[in-house]
Amino acid sequence: MYPKIIKEHFADPKNVGKIKNPTNIGSFTTPTGAKAIFYFLIENNVVKDIKYQIAGCPFAIAVCSILSEYAKGKSIDGLKKITMSSLEQFFKIPQEKEDCINMSLNAFLNGLEMTK
Amino acid sequence: MGKIIYLEHAATTPVDERVVRKMEPYFTELFANPATKWTSSISKKVNEAIEEARKNVASLINASPEEIIFTSGGTESDNTALKGIAFANKDKGNEIITTPIEHNAVLKSAERLHELGFVVKYASVDSKGFVDPDEIRKLITEKTLLVSVMHANNEIGTIEPIEEIGKICKEKGVYFHTDTVQTAAHIPINVEKMNIDLLSISSHKFYGPKGVGALYVRNGTKIIPYMDGGGHESGFRSGTLNTTGIIGLGEASRIGKEEQGKRESYIKELRDTLIQKVMEEIPAVYLNGPGDNKRLPGNVSLIIQGIINEPLLVALNERGIIAGGGSACSAGKKKPSHVLTSIGVAAGDLSSVIRMTLGKDNKKEDIDFIVESIKEITKGLRNLSPFWEEK
Repeated sequence: MYPKIIKEHFADPKNVGKIKNPTNIGSFTTPTGAKAIFYFLIENNVVKDIKYQIAGCPFAIAVCSILSEYAKGKSIDGLKKITMSSLEQFFKIPQEKEDCINMSLNAFLNGLEMTK
Repeated sequence: MGKIIYLEHAATTPVDERVVRKMEPYFTELFANPATKWTSSISKKVNEAIEEARKNVASLINASPEEIIFTSGGTESDNTALKGIAFANKDKGNEIITTPIEHNAVLKSAERLHELGFVVKYASVDSKGFVDPDEIRKLITEKTLLVSVMHANNEIGTIEPIEEIGKICKEKGVYFHTDTVQTAAHIPINVEKMNIDLLSISSHKFYGPKGVGALYVRNGTKIIPYMDGGGHESGFRSGTLNTTGIIGLGEASRIGKEEQGKRESYIKELRDTLIQKVMEEIPAVYLNGPGDNKRLPGNVSLIIQGIINEPLLVALNERGIIAGGGSACSAGKKKPSHVLTSIGVAAGDLSSVIRMTLGKDNKKEDIDFIVESIKEITKGLRNLSPFWEEK
């Protein structure tokens, strides 16, 4: 039922927690009470460190973990272009889980846009 | 598949092997339609088995066999009770009284009646889910046709004071319906003592097959059929009888009546141990519904603060533990549970509810593994959660 990559990241999510002095923070809350917060340390337009907190379904948790691994060391200009369909390179998005995945992606993108 | 610890008995139960064995011949050699009992000897045999099932269902609730109508399950029974009474008695009044924590089969039937011009009044429930019989008394007017209050709630396990409500309905001369889908064969039911006029039963909640149930209709009740057709079930519920299902329901009722007391005390003990251990081992856990004898024997409904239930349920499932959520969706568009909102669960806790409903085949020795699993998974999810840190 769950794609392998989602299972793996759900079982062992990477980069969990907060950054002491983040340069950027982004969050997203759903009407049903799920929430994701991303913390970034960005230097010279490059993501030096990234962590997150999440209360959401296994897809939402795994997407935070996948995004955090993907973003490290990358330029924020490229990361800002990530969309739902770019996530399809990692796994097929089930329609009924779009809202959950969207929550994690929006928190991530909000963080890139919003400096602390 | 590895070992499964099934904790969703309020959703459905496995069919008891004795029930399966009782049903088996009626799929093959005894396949006949019981309606032709006067001309066919196999039909007569099938018909006898149907009538035996009717006696067993009647006996489970202290009714007479002719007061039992076989249906497709709890939903059909609830629909028939509400709409059948409303339509048959509309010359006498137009009011129905129910509660906000009923199963959707009752709530949606009531909403449909409202669309058709009936007035639906809702008695409130307190923070444990109890209906106050005095409020029911006050809501009844000369226009009231029916009061429908469930025997016990499927989500939070509250057992309602239906005997008192039945007494009030009798005094006031209004029909009383109760949905006993969660209680039949689990706790004692007596339609005479409880003054019940109509009662819904679903077979698959007590180790019978799915797709079959019954509606008890007290003799002399003015009600119209929900299913018109060939006049089966004394003209009350047309459609060729689900013979195997009905025979299964009858056997599950017979066994249920015989074993009810033993099952109830065993399951209650498991329930209380599970609740006590989870609450001792994990901080910030709260019980929904009452904590005493007014709770369904197998129901455990807990708020685990700081987490969302869905990843907990998925991770428990990976360990072979099948549990449920009070409100299934975390980020999606699903509405939160009407039961949890009615008892005043805080908005932030609505997605943190886990429901475990125990059954006769659960084992004492599995309780520690269940508690340990919930504890470990909760710890991991709280470590991830922005809500837990905010506390």
